[in-house]
Amino acid sequence: MELLKVVNLKKVFPKTKEPAVNGVDFSILKGEVLGLVGESGCGKSTLAKCMLRLINAQEGNILYKDRDLLKILPKDMHRMRKDLQIIFQDPYTSLDPRMRIGDILEEVFIIHHSFLRGRRKVKVIEILEMVGLGETYLKRLPSELSGGERQRVGIARSLATDPEFIICDEPISSLDISVQAQILNLLMDLQKRKNLTYLFISHDLGVIASICDRVIVMQAGNFVERGLCEDIFRKPKHDYTKNLLKSSSLLS
Amino acid sequence: MVLEIKGLRVRYGVGEVVRGLDLEIAKGECVGLVGESGCGKTTVGLSITRLIPERKGTISSGRILLEGQDLLTLDHESLRKVRGKKVSYVFQEPSSSLNPVFTIYEQLKEALPGRGATDDDAVISDLLKSVGLAKIAGKKNIYPHELSGGMQQRVMIAMAIVPRPDLLVLDEPTTALDVTVQNQILDLIMELKNKIGLSVLFISHDLRTIFRLADRVAVMYAGRIIEEGPRKRIVAQPGHPYTVGLIDSIPSFEHRKKRFDAIEGRAPLFSDLPQGCKFHPRCKFKIDKCVHAEPELEELSDGHVSRCIRAKGLIANGAIKGS
Repeated sequence: MELLKVVNLKKVFPKTKEPAVNGVDFSILKGEVLGLVGESGCGKSTLAKCMLRLINAQEGNILYKDRDLLKILPKDMHRMRKDLQIIFQDPYTSLDPRMRIGDILEEVFIIHHSFLRGRRKVKVIEILEMVGLGETYLKRLPSELSGGERQRVGIARSLATDPEFIICDEPISSLDISVQAQILNLLMDLQKRKNLTYLFISHDLGVIASICDRVIVMQAGNFVERGLCEDIFRKPKHDYTKNLLKSSSLLS
Repeated sequence: MVLEIKGLRVRYGVGEVVRGLDLEIAKGECVGLVGESGCGKTTVGLSITRLIPERKGTISSGRILLEGQDLLTLDHESLRKVRGKKVSYVFQEPSSSLNPVFTIYEQLKEALPGRGATDDDAVISDLLKSVGLAKIAGKKNIYPHELSGGMQQRVMIAMAIVPRPDLLVLDEPTTALDVTVQNQILDLIMELKNKIGLSVLFISHDLRTIFRLADRVAVMYAGRIIEEGPRKRIVAQPGHPYTVGLIDSIPSFEHRKKRFDAIEGRAPLFSDLPQGCKFHPRCKFKIDKCVHAEPELEELSDGHVSRCIRAKGLIANGAIKGS
């Protein structure tokens, strides 16, 4: 079943000639992990941000539940955000350094009017436990946490609204290899348990291979190749994909 | 030996972060020092030319011999002659290593040994070409922000090799870069190492890059080396459960859709190190004996050592093996 469909999405930043995202089409199926791979500056994060209207695209449609996310009113989009979440790359800059972990998570419930005050604390602890942390983290500040723990908080925050779709924008690139494996495990477990759908963005084909069902390869704002993970890895067609593949296999 | 580190101990406010470390690097050899964040690997690199800020920590004991000369006994004036000349560094973040308000040309010129010579321009052009930056050779008005991360890192490498150092220390030089660019930079380092016979200390958390480049690998955990040996041997048969965990954490197509056999938990804090083997709280193979005393390095085969009392047995029964 198609969960979300992107049609001819285009984004041009001011003062640049080449579009950052050049009229791309794709759809995401319910319950799948779709990988989006490409190098810095290829437009993959821009695409992600456009999809959640964190920045505005110039053209295109994003169809979700029979509605076009680019056309709906801001207050309706606000409601939609409960279902559509994002995990950012850098857990150092995406958490407010002055807020305690408990407050960071509770804020999500306040914004979305999710639970009554008394329930919220319990729910926060529940979410913390889901990502392998616990009650002891409630009063801590982000600066007291390791990179891996912070990213778990980032994941917890995106899970707090009980979404069905999460964009994972390079969620492990800033972490140690050993911690990367832990976080990938956590993301895979959660995906299975809650039947989540991911758009998983990375520049590392090794990471993409280990978690994704289908892959899209992006270069300079365009999709140059897409297909099942097995096909892309066994029989890459585009030169750019071959080059990416060569780089990541040499590393391993 | 170009570099010999003997019994190095470094103390920070939180505790001892390098707890008696020995490491040797031969002429033309690349040694990879691998470990998680906060294991002390960067501190080892910085200790070599005593770059640890005084307010942060001090080297409490040990010797660091560069071509036989003990760097830890040098006065500041003599140290200046070593830093950036006999030992040079390339760090993780090229954009914060370069000065944003000076041109690349000016910064490279500053690194040249005989400054103000008439053929500076030609030398800098050649240098830029040698690190794969022919595109900007001869252009004097390029500022760091006009270059990509990979190009900036090439500039840093150019600067580091200019004085023909005895030792090049690379501390996570590719971690901030894209995979394809990482590869290009690793290729460049390899090429330079072979061409001019550089001795290299390569520090990283990523075994993939270490395995790509290093002749010998040293695995560090909680301030000490826990396994060391020729790369080929460690790839074929790692000798410590921690090393196996690092290898199993590498994502790849072969690992598809399987849970990683990841190392659980996090590296211990130096303020609160466990008793006995420092890895035992995270180790799948721990036995009672592991908790009591920290193991010594034990030889598994020629030049291959491990700080695990169970290493030989675990290898023999196939419990730990290469991937």
